[in-house]
Amino acid sequence: MYILGISCFYHDSAAALIKDGVLVSAAQEERFTRKKHDTSFPINAINYCLQKEGITSNDLDHVGFYEKPFLKFERILHQHIETFPKSYKVFISNMPSWFNEKLRIIKIIKKKLKYKGNVRFIEHHMAHSASSFLPSPFKKAAILSVDGVGEWTTTAYGIGENNSIKLFKEIKFPSSIGLLYSAITAYLGFSVNNSEYKVMGLSPYGNMDKNKNEYYKKLMSIIDLKDDGSYRFDMSYFTYHYKNRMPSKKLCALLNGDIRRKESEITQRHQDIAAAVQLVTEEIMTKMLKHVHKVTKCDNLVLAGGVALNSVYNGKILKNTGFKKIWIQPDPGDGGTCIGAAMYIYNVILNNQRNFVLDNAYLGPEYTDSQIKNFLDENKIKYEEFNSDKKIVQKSAKLIYDNNVIGLFQKGMEWGPRALGARSILSNPCNPKMQEILNLKVKHREKFRPFAPVICVEDANKYFECDSSIPEPTDFMLMVYPIKEKYHKLIPAVTHVDGSGRLQTIRRNQNQLYYDLIKEFGKLSKIPILINTSFNIRGEPIVCTPFDAYKCMMGTGIDYLVMGRYIIKRADNSQDFWDSEKYAKD
Amino acid sequence: MKWKYFKEGFSEGKELFSNKISIIINFLLLTIVYFTGVFLTSIFAKISKKKFLDLMPQKEASTYWEDLNLDKKEEKYYFKQF
Repeated sequence: MYILGISCFYHDSAAALIKDGVLVSAAQEERFTRKKHDTSFPINAINYCLQKEGITSNDLDHVGFYEKPFLKFERILHQHIETFPKSYKVFISNMPSWFNEKLRIIKIIKKKLKYKGNVRFIEHHMAHSASSFLPSPFKKAAILSVDGVGEWTTTAYGIGENNSIKLFKEIKFPSSIGLLYSAITAYLGFSVNNSEYKVMGLSPYGNMDKNKNEYYKKLMSIIDLKDDGSYRFDMSYFTYHYKNRMPSKKLCALLNGDIRRKESEITQRHQDIAAAVQLVTEEIMTKMLKHVHKVTKCDNLVLAGGVALNSVYNGKILKNTGFKKIWIQPDPGDGGTCIGAAMYIYNVILNNQRNFVLDNAYLGPEYTDSQIKNFLDENKIKYEEFNSDKKIVQKSAKLIYDNNVIGLFQKGMEWGPRALGARSILSNPCNPKMQEILNLKVKHREKFRPFAPVICVEDANKYFECDSSIPEPTDFMLMVYPIKEKYHKLIPAVTHVDGSGRLQTIRRNQNQLYYDLIKEFGKLSKIPILINTSFNIRGEPIVCTPFDAYKCMMGTGIDYLVMGRYIIKRADNSQDFWDSEKYAKD
Repeated sequence: MKWKYFKEGFSEGKELFSNKISIIINFLLLTIVYFTGVFLTSIFAKISKKKFLDLMPQKEASTYWEDLNLDKKEEKYYFKQF
């Protein structure tokens, strides 16, 4: 039985396919269209899912959509009525997309897929909850789903047991932790629904002492937070319920200044505001999780929704909330809800027992060695071929040890926003200048943003102050932990200003070559850790195809590309020869 | 060849023109809807003191959690968009 899940038309469109309850493929549309956070109907991602299984839309038994569009539309209308006439501009700009796309989703699905069956609609936060609980390793778990907004709900909690999910309580729009974080992201001059992680990365530069950070007190003064973690905002400080611009003039006055202009200097005040919103988020989440733990009497927790991407807070949950185990899927944001829609149909609506645990994120397009070789030969690209994984691991480890930057292109593309060793850029964390080199050569990103370390799971406790039993979300780079102080100077390139690292742990059964490469580098450097950053340049999605990877290397300062069993040296290939414009339509 | 270019150019121009026209018509229709439908509903809501969004905290409330009770429902429920 094949079930397709779809999420689209808000941000991060994506598709996932399950076969008899097992997730066989999933991908975000942005990787195919090369448009970051693409919101369009995910036809390329769907085609990939179908082609991977060698099926057509005629073979689909069910199709699930990640929300109930009419309920969402009702909320939008309520916003306009409540805020008339301030919402006029947004009404004019947003309504056409509702009439052309969002309210015609059944027609669009049937037309684009040539699908003749019915479409099922799963509530947004139920799709979130299902995407985190159903593929989790837990038989029973408390569920907390927190994001910007779904139909009406911004926060919901409940419990999952075997193949049933019940959501008990909710907090409704417009009060939303996700939207608060986004409003401050906008205030700090970063893009909404894209750069919230930059605010998280900026926060340790600010004052993280609640008693001394004046902006923390100011933000808390506009939120009524109850002891059970429920909250409501004073909406006179926000405009997101009637404008595209998120912070109001009143919020600007509260925070002692106007919205920061993009690319302008980041001052101590901006850093303190970033710290303040992180502190507020942590305080609300902690109170909420303590309440959920008390109500559900369950020691296992699954987190869902975009707020679950706050890896800084995730690393503190087990210490502060009473939960003993935690699981988060690799893409807990809106993109991930397509998995929830599909699995909810199979496990809950059709009442099938759960038979799948999501233990790795390599669910995207994969290329065989012969496909890669064909690509290289057809384009007259010079490369070195290796006849065993061992040799390619040894060569790559030596290259990294010699301070080269390499692009690693192996296995199926990662599901979710993090590069986890299939489409990664790797380099030497022991080199104090590596952060600067990576920024200069490849990433061109803000100086305050740290690079992430990757380590084999059994070595993690030696270098990091992790929870006693390392939670599985660490495999998906969703937890930040302090790096033990004695290693700060040994791995400066991945040590953030507060001594923390957003580590990825890797198990050999997940990605053998990647695991062996880290171990091999450890033999050379005595430190079995690598820098792992996403294989893309700033502003572009992570690479998907060999073409994307090669183009990215030739357009940046990546020294080598390790693709399948081939190593390509940038200096061996003429940049003039690679006319990216000529190949742009490939 | 010239005829082919003319046809292609003409069809592109036609598409551009229809897009512009649809933007103008959308703008006019939506403006009418906004200043009639939304305006009138908003007026009636204000007269009857109906609130569509909770815009201010209620200090006296003991909790802001609201009942959701979302559980498995009848099959036909999932075919609806609401």
